[in-house]
Order: sequence, then structure tokens, then C-alpha cells
Amino acid sequence: MPERLPITLILPAFNEARIIEQVIRDIRQVGNFRIVVIDDGSTDGTAAKVLAMGEQVVRHPLNRGAGAACQTGISLARKYGWPYLAFMDSDGQHFPEDLEGLITTMQAQQADLVIGSRFAGTQNQIPYLRRFFNTAANILTNSFCTHHYTDTQSGFRLLNQRAIAALDLLQDDFSYCSEMIILAERAKLKVAETPIRVRYTDYSVSKGQDFQVGLLTAFHFLWKLIFK
Amino acid sequence: MEIRFFQVVVPLVALLFMANQGLRYRRGRLNLGEALFSGLLWIGVALLAVFPDEISNFVAALFGFKSNTNAVLFLGLGILFYFQYRIYRLQVAQRRAITELNRQLALDRFEKAQAPS
Repeated sequence: MPERLPITLILPAFNEARIIEQVIRDIRQVGNFRIVVIDDGSTDGTAAKVLAMGEQVVRHPLNRGAGAACQTGISLARKYGWPYLAFMDSDGQHFPEDLEGLITTMQAQQADLVIGSRFAGTQNQIPYLRRFFNTAANILTNSFCTHHYTDTQSGFRLLNQRAIAALDLLQDDFSYCSEMIILAERAKLKVAETPIRVRYTDYSVSKGQDFQVGLLTAFHFLWKLIFK
Repeated sequence: MEIRFFQVVVPLVALLFMANQGLRYRRGRLNLGEALFSGLLWIGVALLAVFPDEISNFVAALFGFKSNTNAVLFLGLGILFYFQYRIYRLQVAQRRAITELNRQLALDRFEKAQAPS
């Protein structure tokens, strides 16, 4: 199982007190990973619940977005010399068991960054609106990439040491997903995808992007690419 | 030529601002580019006040507007968009700085919590 690599699991979280304990329990059932929750300015006691379970928490005093939380995870890995980082959503959407697929792909394809794709192979029940947003984001992101990716917005990712050293995310919001792929390509990193399963619950759908956030995310993404 | 009130006041105000920007440049608070941009902007404002009809007619002819009123209106809109762009850039830079501060603070606190007491 996934313990073959010394992986640190990073869970960016914002007001996930309702579900974070279950997510951590699910991960523990899969393997003995180091788990670090990046609490992005939660006000609902997310950090206290994680600490009570004996896991580590880095607390952003202010809510700055998923991208900022991920970059904090990358900074931590550099500081403490963690060789592999896996990012997973903390809303319970991902299956920790699928991490094995990411590891296998990283090893088989000698990849530096592996993205868990909801649209590659597996028949996931994804809400139509979410599917539409993801398609639009894929078209936008792929137009700046040399390769084609089926899921540019997935938060389930595995990075090796080369990727950890090379990636400096500037996008604070969800557009970090696209930015990470573009930066990885520019840094000549090998990017691969592997199928993952997802479960959309009312809770996880309520936590995701809506039309307004999606538009703003696209605007920020384009702005930083053009006017950087 | 009849001289109207604003044709005296606006150039004087522009002169005042230009002198102020010149002083700020000498004190090192502005770089050359900023000082030149500011100077040109205030010279433009002063000239528009002194020769309002001539300049607005020239702009209208240059861009193909039917009347000089439209030209002034669109010129004003263009300038407003430009300032909006500058304000947004400033906001982006400040957001970035806040994020960096936020992250650094979080990492420092985490490190302290990890250190054996």
C-alpha cells in the first residue's frame, strides 16, 4: 500500500469542522501518513478538532484561499525536507485509497506531478453544473499548456521533491490548480494524470465553486498570466 | 479672447501639483518615470483648461468623434479606466503582500509549536 513512499498528506481546510475528523479517520485507515492540515483562517473550530485527533495544524490567521494554503504546504515541505507531498480536499470528496493510483503513476511514468483526474476513465457521478465549470476551466487551462489534461481543477495531487522545489504558486484562489500545471510545464517537470473516484455530497457541493467564484477565478488566472 | 475663471485656477492648481511632484522627485520619493508621467498629466490638464475648444476639437477630429463634447467624454472614460486599472494592480499587489505575511506568520507559529520547549 502507499507507505512505500514517505508521503506527507496536506489537507487545505476552511471551515471544515463538520467533516474533517471523518476525513482524517478515512486517511488513517489507508495508511500511516504524516497528515498536516492547513487551516486557512477557519472560524468554526476546525483546527481544534484536528489537534484533538493528534494531527498537525498550520493556521493561517486570515482566510486567503486554497492556493495560498497549498503554497504553505509546499513551503513546509521545503523547510522540513519532506520528499513527497499529496494534496487532498478536506471536504470528504476524495477517496484516500486512490492515493495508491497516484503513487503507481508517479513511479511508472517517472512523473514529478501526478493529478488525480475525475474524468479519465472512471464513471464518477458529477453534477452537470460542476462538469460544465470543469470543462470550461480545462479549455482555458489547456490553451496555455503544451499537453492536454482531462482534469486541470482536481485538488488531489502528488508532488515529488523536484516539483516541491520548482513550484511557487502566486494564485491565492482556486486558480492555483491551473497555475500549478502551467508552472510545472514551464519548469520542464513531467506531469501525469491518473483516474480517481469522487463522491459529491450536498456538503461538498456547497463548499465548491459557484458561477460567481468561477468567473472571478478565471479573471484572476488570466490577469496574472497576462499582466504578471 | 475672454479668459474664464477655470482657465486661471486649473493651470495654477496644476502648477502647484507639478511643483510638489518635482520636490518629491528631488527627495527620492518618486522615480523619474513616475515624475515624468505625473508632470505630463498635469501639463495636459493645464493645456486642456487654457485651450478647451481647440484641444477637444483636435481630439474629436483625431478619433473621428462627431463633436468635441463626445471626445471629452470618451477621453474622460479612457482616463477613468486607466486609473481603475492602476488601482486594481495596487490591490493585487497588496493582496499578495497580505497573503505572504499571513503565510509567514502561520509558518513561524507552526515552527515554534514544533520546537521542544
